[in-house]
Amino acid sequence: MDREAKLARLLEHPAIWRGRSAAHQQGGLPTGFAALDAYLPGYGWPRTGLIEILVSRFGSGELYLLLPALAALTRARCARWCVWVAPPLMPFAPALASQGMVLDRVAVVNGARPLWALEQALGSGACDVALAWVRQVKAREIRRLQLAAERGRTLGVLFRPRRAAREATAAVLRLSLQPTITGVRITLLKGRGALRGAVDLLRPDWPV
Amino acid sequence: MRPHLLRAATGKAGKSALPADAGRVQPRAAPLSITRRHVAGGRAGELWAGLHLPGINPQKLQQLAVCAQRFTPRVSLAPPDGLLLEVQGSLHLFAGVAGLRGALRSECLRLQVQPVLAFAPAALAALVAARAGKPLAVMDPAQLTGQLAPLPLASLRWPPDTLARLARMGVRTIGAALRLPRAGFARRVGSEQLAMLDVLTGRMPEARVTFHAPERFRRRRELDCELENHALLLAALAPLFADLGAFLRARQCGVVELECRLTHRHVPATRCVVRLAAPATDVHRLAGLLGERLNALDLPEPARACELRADALVPYLPGSNALWQPGEHGGSAGNEACGLIERLRARLGSGAVHGLTGLPAHRPENAWALTEPPPAAGRRGVHAGCSAEVPAAVRRPLWLLPAPQPLGVRDGLPRRRGPLRLIGEPERIETGWWDGGEIARDYYTAIDLHGVRLWVFRERAAPHRWFLHGVFG
Repeated sequence: MDREAKLARLLEHPAIWRGRSAAHQQGGLPTGFAALDAYLPGYGWPRTGLIEILVSRFGSGELYLLLPALAALTRARCARWCVWVAPPLMPFAPALASQGMVLDRVAVVNGARPLWALEQALGSGACDVALAWVRQVKAREIRRLQLAAERGRTLGVLFRPRRAAREATAAVLRLSLQPTITGVRITLLKGRGALRGAVDLLRPDWPV
Repeated sequence: MRPHLLRAATGKAGKSALPADAGRVQPRAAPLSITRRHVAGGRAGELWAGLHLPGINPQKLQQLAVCAQRFTPRVSLAPPDGLLLEVQGSLHLFAGVAGLRGALRSECLRLQVQPVLAFAPAALAALVAARAGKPLAVMDPAQLTGQLAPLPLASLRWPPDTLARLARMGVRTIGAALRLPRAGFARRVGSEQLAMLDVLTGRMPEARVTFHAPERFRRRRELDCELENHALLLAALAPLFADLGAFLRARQCGVVELECRLTHRHVPATRCVVRLAAPATDVHRLAGLLGERLNALDLPEPARACELRADALVPYLPGSNALWQPGEHGGSAGNEACGLIERLRARLGSGAVHGLTGLPAHRPENAWALTEPPPAAGRRGVHAGCSAEVPAAVRRPLWLLPAPQPLGVRDGLPRRRGPLRLIGEPERIETGWWDGGEIARDYYTAIDLHGVRLWVFRERAAPHRWFLHGVFG
């Protein structure tokens, strides 16, 4: 006990830098789930930069995970756009509205070049958040997207298949997502000052 | 040139509907002293040509006004079907009234309009005579009243009940109206009408707005050598863009459509049109957009000359720049949003960007719609789609399939890459007979082998097929 107290006092010394404490100083974007906020570095989604969400199947709960944050962004006083680039299906407007999203901040972009459109959206400064569904992305392209997101002060979210976990990434955050019976299990694969392990989120509205 | 009253033309470029009094100066618009001095001074030597053009449309009237500026700089519109020209100074150029009449008539016939032409020292008198179908040519102000006297009162276009009241009094011509005592006329008919009679006979001056032709921008540049490379073409266009920038700045105007024409040696010219989401004056942005369009363009031949055209100019008020960058301390995105839409549309096509809205309909297919891209600045308090919000108790998937997708069935239960497990109570959504899209479905939540939640339904009609309609996500 005495040793632990001493150790704690030693670690409080300002000359000692610990990665996690640095990451926690900046205010993140609250995710809407207390367990996830505590798990993510920065206590929430980063406000700027690219994050990757890896899912084995489309519809595993990845959008559900983001919705509270998206709704909060679109409801802000000077809300910028929330751009959806090349979604595989059409986002269902009434469901988004009932989750609190303001639909007149939502723009859907379809077209032949999703990565180019995403880079434009991220770098333009016109969007708070840009979501994109792409199958094949090269590491170099992710780096470009990350730089564009920093330039435009935008949060970029890239949904990718699970096998992309083997590739290197320049994204700020990389999460892997698995549906469970009661909700989703989230594993942080990459993040500055990240915790180990995984976190399970329960979906209260989820009938079993 | 004689000094005369000018006022900024109310109808600028592209405005098709003109207000009924577009040509007349509002009484309060000009200081009275100026009106008196200039107009009364010039009145003695004025000669107005009035054109009555029955059945002309506003576009043609504007077109004719532009053509009529060949005869005199003082052209004034009298919508909906009149045009006035002050021609005193031009008479000797056309060998008098007869020559001018012929020239004006042929100008009208070129636009397929049949005019009635009258000349008088007062603008309104010329117009009224033309409306009455009398091709008068009154040169002497002293003869004006006598010549106008037999014209019907109806050609003054007073309100019908005023005309009817005067007709009951036996007053049907302008002469009869002029003979009435002034004080009584003002009391019984109206002082406005009395003032109009004074203007008609030249007793009171009338100030009219001079028509200004809408401006457009056209610059052409012959290239030193034939070019095919897009980057070089854009560089060759740079001086034209600089001209455009100076042109727009001087007029405080912006463009919403810009056309670039590339002329080739053998084949017809290639046109490349950039349409903008909002009026733009920033030539760097315009050049960037045109570059996107040129990149997508496949030139049939090298270009020998290039031309930049902007036909419709719109008044542009530059907004003030925000202190904060967008996204920084709640700074909002205005120009950036328009720029983003334009860039995306320039490369991906005009249908690439959409907004979303919810509709108050119970059938899932009809409960949403695509809209124009959202406005740049967020409107606070007014949220489209709030009316269509589904109650929180009703579960709806976040993703909807464009059309229901049939599912395989085994033992009466749906399958999709393995059996689906149905959970919860079904929700029945039915009817829609009023527009032919009648449905009768029981919606279930289903979980597939990978744990993905799906929104499936079973038709209530005979074959009881199963369909996938949404993904919860």
